[in-house]
Amino acid sequence: MGGVSSQGMTPGRARFSDRALLEVTDLEVSYAGVRALRGLSLTVSSGAIVAVLGSNGAGKTTLLRAISGTLPLQRGTIDGGSITLEGTSLVGRDPARIVHAGVVQVPEGRRIFGELTVAENLRAGAWGRTERAGRAEAYARVYELFPRLMERRAQRAALLSGGEQQMLAIGRALMAEPRLLLLDEPSLGLAPQLVEQIAETVQTINRQGTAVVLVEQNAAMALEIAHRATVLEVGEVAVEGSAAELARSDDVRERYLGLGRARDIGEVTAVTPVTGRREARPLTVEDVSVTFGGLAALDAVSLTVEPGSTHAVIGPNGAGKSTLLNVLTGVYSASGGRVRYGDATLTGLRPPRIAALGISRTFQNLALSASSTVEENLLLGRHRLSKAGFVTAGLRLPRARREHAEQRRIVAGIAEVMGLGDRLATPLGALAYGDRKRVELARALCAEPTLLLLDEPVAGMNANESQEMARTIAQVQQTLGISIVLVEHDMGFVMGLADRVTVLDFGRCIADGSPDDVQRDPEVLRAYLGAGDSVEVQEGA
Amino acid sequence: MSQFFELLISGLSLGCIYALIAMGFVVVFKATNVVNFAHASILMLGAYLVARLHEQLGFFGALGVAILACALSAALIDLVLVRALRRQGGDQDTLAILTIGINVLLGTELSRRVGTDLLPTGAPWGSEVTHVLGVTVPQTRIAAAVIAIALMVVFWLAFTRSGWGVAMRSAASDPEAAALMGIPLGRVAYGAWAIAGALAAIGGAFFTSFPAAGVNNATGLLALTAIPAAVLGGLDSTGGAVVGGLTIGVATTMAAGYQDQIAFLGRGLSEVVPYIALLLVLLWRPSGIFGSREVSRV
Repeated sequence: MGGVSSQGMTPGRARFSDRALLEVTDLEVSYAGVRALRGLSLTVSSGAIVAVLGSNGAGKTTLLRAISGTLPLQRGTIDGGSITLEGTSLVGRDPARIVHAGVVQVPEGRRIFGELTVAENLRAGAWGRTERAGRAEAYARVYELFPRLMERRAQRAALLSGGEQQMLAIGRALMAEPRLLLLDEPSLGLAPQLVEQIAETVQTINRQGTAVVLVEQNAAMALEIAHRATVLEVGEVAVEGSAAELARSDDVRERYLGLGRARDIGEVTAVTPVTGRREARPLTVEDVSVTFGGLAALDAVSLTVEPGSTHAVIGPNGAGKSTLLNVLTGVYSASGGRVRYGDATLTGLRPPRIAALGISRTFQNLALSASSTVEENLLLGRHRLSKAGFVTAGLRLPRARREHAEQRRIVAGIAEVMGLGDRLATPLGALAYGDRKRVELARALCAEPTLLLLDEPVAGMNANESQEMARTIAQVQQTLGISIVLVEHDMGFVMGLADRVTVLDFGRCIADGSPDDVQRDPEVLRAYLGAGDSVEVQEGA
Repeated sequence: MSQFFELLISGLSLGCIYALIAMGFVVVFKATNVVNFAHASILMLGAYLVARLHEQLGFFGALGVAILACALSAALIDLVLVRALRRQGGDQDTLAILTIGINVLLGTELSRRVGTDLLPTGAPWGSEVTHVLGVTVPQTRIAAAVIAIALMVVFWLAFTRSGWGVAMRSAASDPEAAALMGIPLGRVAYGAWAIAGALAAIGGAFFTSFPAAGVNNATGLLALTAIPAAVLGGLDSTGGAVVGGLTIGVATTMAAGYQDQIAFLGRGLSEVVPYIALLLVLLWRPSGIFGSREVSRV
């Protein structure tokens, strides 16, 4: 990232004028009758960075969609209020015209065009620009900001690492030379060292004259680089002020930054399990290697998960954490080494056979059906354990009906433990993100696993929500006595929860031990937190 | 041996026509995610217009009119029907069934108009043949191959090099993100349909010229065999459309040419050969020869 200015994290607070570029007044938005924004107002001065904070479901992304004109794609409607760019209304305009007016959004989750090359992604961002000279200038600017993209310009974008994809997503938006850049969670799922790079980049872009609306879960980072900040709560503005003021306010510190608060997960009470305790077996991973087209994603990784323990796998982006989970569940086949669970050898088994051994997983990105209710989603998780064949079930024979009632009773019990008891009949699409993550965990539990694999269970959650999740996971573990393998970015989250930690870096295992030992390991600090200059070299591997 | 080469060359030239038709099918699928079964009846519309109009306008004049009419009808299907259904929440399957409905309606109406007639297309090449290296090849097929290859090259360049191609592929990859980049999704969609319509018209005109006798009421059914060509190559791969087209072309020509030797399989095997090839390929590779099986870093 040699091209990114590294003048530290101090914003040039005096640089912007007070002229309003974007004005949102009394905005009302709803999705199919459900109100998402209630009389929200926001002003963005030209040249400013405005942070928009708040927990999941507060309406942050909805606000951005309303500005960029993409609400109709999600079946949302603007019911009242106004959005103006230098006095011209943006309401009801189609997204292409809003981009043309100079407002470009970088969507959450990056959403780069995977099958296109890096250069083609940038070209797509410059769609509205017909003059060749202007386009060439825009390419030069983006490549200067992100030299990495220059190196990889002929590569398919899907093969970039998470951090590089975020760079591409920002670079693609810059191709249209926006006056106002809308960033939706640019730090989501990135390792701390990359988050800092993104923060510096946003400041550089801002110094070059682009105003920024920054929606973030990482409030500490957002408040550090923003000039002003707005905190949303269920569709309304809860607090508004200068970023420096908000960062100092105790209330905001506690609620949204998770600062000044010990990250212990509190007292956990074991509850009577609805499905009975089950015996976990030891999981051993021996010298497992995986290669994708010559690229080693995992290189002779070994680890042992003791029965009934919580084992965390951490590491920077592209370290091979998700790949490891995919090997455990049989989605990827290992090119070397083997995985054993008790007496059974998992390597070479198909995913359904592995699931039948009592291993279930959750996904980094939610893999649930949005139009079904919570209960239906959970019943899906019971599929492995339902005995009624499709004839008995299809004919609704008494045996099948009895079994169905029994399944519903168990599902209700699990939902109760997970704090979802009163949500069973709610369609999943109507739940906030944090609750949906909870449903996913509950669904994995419905399969009555003895080994539970969790892929980034708190990705995209704020400090409060992730603390609550940690408590739930600890409770599940204690109640059922199962083993848990946890893949996570959030160091603090892992440290409070895991019995043992394995650290991966570029497919290799660089440390393995108790949380305290690992936290002090100099190798881990260097690789994970990105201290020192060696980071540049490693990224290219 | 000379019979083999004769069949191979004739098969490849027929394959070029198939490829052209399959390409239109792939373009619509890539840009709008619709499996467009109406493609066959639009092809028949093109062939029908050429056959009806060539006496007044000449072959090329009639072909021009057919290209415009087919492009316009295809764009209208998108603008009026597909868009309305999408607004109501119609998904990929619903839209595919919609296109089957359109295919039946348009195909039936055209068959009714053709009746029991056999309408020649009046292609200027007539039934002339040329001898190349001792192999006899109809001149229409040479013209068809040359035009098809030229069109495919132009098309491939536009798809990979031009801003339009990038816009189309972005929209195919992630419509919402493409909209956020200012790419007008509506224009990309009906543009793709219009191009597919134009390709179908050209394909239809050649498909029904010599050695085929002309447009009859079964042309629409015959045109449906271009769909196996697209699916076999991989629904989302333009390169696959070419390979699929050539495969089907050669396979049907061979099956027809050697029908005496394979008579034990029954008469008229060449008509079902595309579907047999389709089944075999899909058993081996479920997303077609070049269809994308996602490779991405996790």
